[in-house]
Amino acid sequence: MGAPFDISYVFSYLPKLLGTLGTTLLIVGCSLQAGIIVGFLVALPRLYKVPVLKTCSEIYISFFRGTPILIQLFLFYYGLPEILKLVHVDMTRTPVLVFVILTYGLHTGAYMSEMIRAAVLAVDKGQIEAAYATGMTGFQAFTRIVLPQALGIAIPVFSNLVIALLKDTSLAFTLGVMEMTGKAQTLGSLTQHFIETYIALALIYLVISFTIEKLLLIAERRLLRHEKRSTSEKKSFKIHKNWSYRRIIAELGPGKGGAGL
Amino acid sequence: MKLDPSFIWTAFVQILSAIPTTLYITVVSVLIGFVIGVAVALIRIYRIPLLYPLAVGYVTFIRGTPMLTHLLLIYFGLPVLIDGLAEQFGWSFRSVSIPMIGFAYISFSITAGAYMSEVVRSGLLAVDRGQLEAAHSIGMTTPQALQRIVFPQALAASLPNLSNSVIGMLHGSTLAFTVSVVDINAKAQIVASTNWKFFEAYLAAALIFWGLTFLIERATSVIEKRINLYNRGGVA
Repeated sequence: MGAPFDISYVFSYLPKLLGTLGTTLLIVGCSLQAGIIVGFLVALPRLYKVPVLKTCSEIYISFFRGTPILIQLFLFYYGLPEILKLVHVDMTRTPVLVFVILTYGLHTGAYMSEMIRAAVLAVDKGQIEAAYATGMTGFQAFTRIVLPQALGIAIPVFSNLVIALLKDTSLAFTLGVMEMTGKAQTLGSLTQHFIETYIALALIYLVISFTIEKLLLIAERRLLRHEKRSTSEKKSFKIHKNWSYRRIIAELGPGKGGAGL
Repeated sequence: MKLDPSFIWTAFVQILSAIPTTLYITVVSVLIGFVIGVAVALIRIYRIPLLYPLAVGYVTFIRGTPMLTHLLLIYFGLPVLIDGLAEQFGWSFRSVSIPMIGFAYISFSITAGAYMSEVVRSGLLAVDRGQLEAAHSIGMTTPQALQRIVFPQALAASLPNLSNSVIGMLHGSTLAFTVSVVDINAKAQIVASTNWKFFEAYLAAALIFWGLTFLIERATSVIEKRINLYNRGGVA
């Protein structure tokens, strides 16, 4: 500290921080993909009520939603090599980024699976019966009728999850990953202009999360174009008056709507 | 380094001593956040001029940036602000006298406030406007109607979101370690590094958090049942 506040530093830090944007987005992108895959795998046993697997996925979801991501990060970073050592797999050379993506992937996967499950359950059962009545197979009914509708329902929650994931990546610095927050801390301690760096950092996060939200809003409008509801009311966090819609959101669990870190 | 299952228990017992700190941070930030949230939600619902854009800006900023940046901004920014003002007005109060946990309280309350305002707002908007009109028609004043009719229903509607927010803040309190507050996470770090048993210590911390989250969820579902009694449907 000590250095006087100088707004011009904010602008000179912006390009420096943007240099590490790639790492942040890489973490978000990879763990999002992993999360969707894991989410589907975990949601299916619960949807089809597969005996033992159902309990396993419930415990998995409960654990990842019930513990802070920071603890999970440390747990995987320190724990995985030790466990794999028991089966003689050496992980000392694995880059830290792998652990980070793995943790975030599993963490998001838990929320994703809840989202997928609730969205699929939210589609009217009559729709499936109608699909069967017209002679579709189970797979056809799922991909052509249920999935498109479920996607439309799930996308606001999905958008929240992606933004939460983006914000969670700010914790990767604790393992020494040079993403935006890590870079900001280094810059801050090098130049002692902490406030300016963190303002620049906050601005970048704000712009990215705003962009993600807008993009997913466009996607949502496209997916729900068959419904005549004015989707523009979702803009600027308007609350839905429609009771059934609110119930779906409540059932989805606002994801990390509570407080993404 | 070898896996030492018995150390999980040792670490568990040692980390237990840090639970109050974590709970303090959670409770303080949720309570102050709730107050801020109600204020912001009312400003946004009644569209009070001047304050309205401020409230929207506040909520957008907080929800668009990570909690960690709020903490760091407060931690580095507030002392500069306070000391600058103190210099100018000749106060004797300096930022040095703010304890570390104070920064966590302030920053997490601000964070919680933005999320709470959304919770409160959706809860209030969930109550049918007709309810308010009905209350007026039987002669209640607006404060009476709000207090007796609207708020209880809004609370019931927003309870699941509220519990999620509390859990979110509980998990968010792990960030306090960045400003050297010894909460569960920081304690786990200390226990881990003094004994060189990282996995076991963090596993113990994870179990504690899991337990706390479970308790909050249980408590919510009990309260929810109680609070939704009026809404059980049927002819009752």
